[in-house]
Amino acid sequence: MSGSAPVLDRLPGDRRYWFLALGVLLLAWPFLFGSFWARIGLGALMWIGLAQSWNMIGGYAGYLDFGHGAYFGIGGFAAGIAMVQFGYPFVVGFALAIVVAAVLAYLVAVPTLRLTGAYFAIATWALAESIKQAALILEITGGTFGLSLPRSPDTFIGIAVPFAISETFFYYVMLLLCAATMLVTYVLFERHEFGYRVKALRDDQDAAESLGIDTTRVKRQVYVLSCVVAAVFGSVYAWYIVFIHPNDILAPIVTDRMVIMALLGGLGTLTGPIFGGLLVFLLQRLSSVFLGSSTFYLPLIGTLIMITVLFAPSGIIGILRGEIGRDDVRKNLKELGEKFDLL
Amino acid sequence: MVDIGLFTQIVINGLLLGGIYVTIGVGFSLAFGVLEVVDFAVGEYVMVGAFMGAVLAPLFGAEGVFVIPIVLVVFFAVGALIQPLIHHVTTGDRPHPLLMGLVFTFGLATFLRGSVLTIFGPNSQDVPSSLLTGGIEVPGLGTFPVVRTVTAVFGVTGLAVFMYYLYRTRGGMAIRAIAEDRTNARLMGININRYQSIAYGAYAALTGSAGVFIGMTFNASPGMGLQYTAFAFFMVVLAGMGYLPGVIVAGIVLGLTQSFTAVYISGNAVLLVLFAIIYVVLLVSPAGILGKGEWAT
Amino acid sequence: MSDGDTILKTTDLTKRFGALTANDEISLAVERGEIRGIIGPNGSGKTTFFNTVTGFYEPDGGSVHFNGEEVTGWEPHRLARRGLGRTFQIVSPFKNMTVRQNMLAVQTDDGRSREEKRERVGEILEFLEIDHIADNEARGMSGGQQKLLELGRVLMLDPELVMLDEPAAGVNPALEERIMDHIHELNDEGTTFVVIEHDMHVMKTLADTVSVFDSGRHIAQGDFEEVSQNEDVRKAYLGGTTAEDDEVPV
Repeated sequence: MSGSAPVLDRLPGDRRYWFLALGVLLLAWPFLFGSFWARIGLGALMWIGLAQSWNMIGGYAGYLDFGHGAYFGIGGFAAGIAMVQFGYPFVVGFALAIVVAAVLAYLVAVPTLRLTGAYFAIATWALAESIKQAALILEITGGTFGLSLPRSPDTFIGIAVPFAISETFFYYVMLLLCAATMLVTYVLFERHEFGYRVKALRDDQDAAESLGIDTTRVKRQVYVLSCVVAAVFGSVYAWYIVFIHPNDILAPIVTDRMVIMALLGGLGTLTGPIFGGLLVFLLQRLSSVFLGSSTFYLPLIGTLIMITVLFAPSGIIGILRGEIGRDDVRKNLKELGEKFDLL
Repeated sequence: MVDIGLFTQIVINGLLLGGIYVTIGVGFSLAFGVLEVVDFAVGEYVMVGAFMGAVLAPLFGAEGVFVIPIVLVVFFAVGALIQPLIHHVTTGDRPHPLLMGLVFTFGLATFLRGSVLTIFGPNSQDVPSSLLTGGIEVPGLGTFPVVRTVTAVFGVTGLAVFMYYLYRTRGGMAIRAIAEDRTNARLMGININRYQSIAYGAYAALTGSAGVFIGMTFNASPGMGLQYTAFAFFMVVLAGMGYLPGVIVAGIVLGLTQSFTAVYISGNAVLLVLFAIIYVVLLVSPAGILGKGEWAT
Repeated sequence: MSDGDTILKTTDLTKRFGALTANDEISLAVERGEIRGIIGPNGSGKTTFFNTVTGFYEPDGGSVHFNGEEVTGWEPHRLARRGLGRTFQIVSPFKNMTVRQNMLAVQTDDGRSREEKRERVGEILEFLEIDHIADNEARGMSGGQQKLLELGRVLMLDPELVMLDEPAAGVNPALEERIMDHIHELNDEGTTFVVIEHDMHVMKTLADTVSVFDSGRHIAQGDFEEVSQNEDVRKAYLGGTTAEDDEVPV
């Protein structure tokens, strides 16, 4: 359980009961708190899942994908195009989103993953921006008008949905997807040797190669997986939000948020994106309610990022694990002070 | 059918625009060389500079030009104070120093954009200037809009001063030595911290004042930063990271490209082409088109 | 298989970096079961040779045979899985993982089950006497422990041939002794070694045969005594200056 924080160990009583209680709370959430909080809940679950998808490539594999949001948008548009332009039901759009994202991610991975560090970051960023600009020009994506999806019928794969189209329904879809993403991450990256190989190539690519790890292949697998996860969320989001526009779901802010959430929570950890995702999403979502401004969360998050990077590079998880104490901050401050030497 | 008059006018506009882009690109490229960090905040410096122009100009008789000295001083000071922070997060024994550097500047960019957005709202504002209006007719060539001409002159002058400092003074030599090899420079007894601060301060000052001029040419809006970050990336990617002469060529290419595509193709297409070029050049020749860039990570 | 018991053979192996020829037609054969030393002044092409043989550099000419099979231009991981292990000059453990995870990251084609793999990790850690730190993170370990871990990781490949780049560099004498013992022990069990080392004492006690590199060429080969008497070798090392006595193979 290297991915979980010892703070969990300090919980009184058997840990399983706490997980059980959390599970019950999550399942009962929409009924306990109503549709406004169901909406907040489904958004938080989606962003946690998205942050985790970025964490796979950015945190575990150490490849700074600054264009990851493109796959969220591609998933959304794949579903939207299938439903609007071809009149298919959502399931087809969902499948299309997975296939398109997987194929595109693979084609992008082959040349792009040869780059490292800042070069990879800029390349993926530029690619995502070109995809957005292309979506603004193309007709099939609705260009600058965007796409309006049909309000879904009350069935899902032919089965009647009890709370069709309601926040409650989408809450449970997002809960399922988020839980699945967490499970996949836990099994693949924390439990399985695959995860060790991924971390190995992040720490030292040459050494990993010399130990029989096909780094090219492993990187590609992680990239494709993480992109497909983002696309899955994108397709469901499009179905939920009904209207999609390149300036929304392909906007760089989508990527930005994923990066920030993963970083604030703790890179390359299982639970980091949960904490980071919750914090950033709630700050953003509630800033207009509690801070009286819909944009005030931006400078707040910016400041938070800078402070985290300066003093707590292992994120919230690092603080919970006790890796960052007062002494570390003091040492950091002292070293920082020495670097101010202009006059 | 190409209209010759229109054509030369586009070339003029493009070249003049290129002059100011070069200023941004050179500073950005140098910041990369010295700090080994790709600065995601570059476009936001342009944006904040433009807003300082919009906000302070009324205090100086609605004349944006008079704001320039203030912008230079403020940005130099702020840049010199920010540099140690960036240096700190990219060195020492921390995990993923490169990511930390990128994300730090990214946080800075978010902070700057968000602050301006929160304080001034999403609307664009004019940077007034009564001195820089109208155009100079040059028979047989076309019109040189005064704003753009002065902007380009400022860009070239700023660049010249900067280059003079870099290549003809002891301080400049120190900065170039750091860009070449930080460890070696330290062994040679160069005060790394001081000269890195100066370099980053100078870059911030140039970029901020370029922002005022860009504000006078177009306008100031909270969302404009991204475009200039893209431009800066475009220039250094084309030129090769840290290779200054290449940036000059790339900046002029950028100005011309923008000027031409804006007339003959739509605005979205311009960005599409720019981003696509960045991506392809990185894949094909990461050290820039001339292959003279630093192949650092 | 006309090579008989030759495990590694390079023929006219050449690697250039621009105008510099770092490896100039290097032909060298390593017999199964031997410990081969490679010495030479700084910049003589030893590490380049390692990198070209193990697939990190694409050679500009010549060929590499491993176990009688042509492996020129193979990717490093493919060679590793065939049983060609190597270490690097700069010790490079996976810092954010525990010792055990470092070992488990190694990938082979031998179809071992999870349990068998875990068992093997235990055996190797015990053999190297670092089993007490199996669950420590590599980042907090001493340089010496990291060296042992690096050797342990290579052993996870069940290598037939191990190429070590300066195994004794920056290691205290006691640990140096320990590493040498491990190498001898593994060698007795049949593992072949190729070792780059500056420390002539180590070279003398370790190597059965020594190959000498100079300016990218393979200029001499023989046992330690022969080589140290060789005129070309002395010239390569002295090179007109008398400094750096510690590097003179006497």
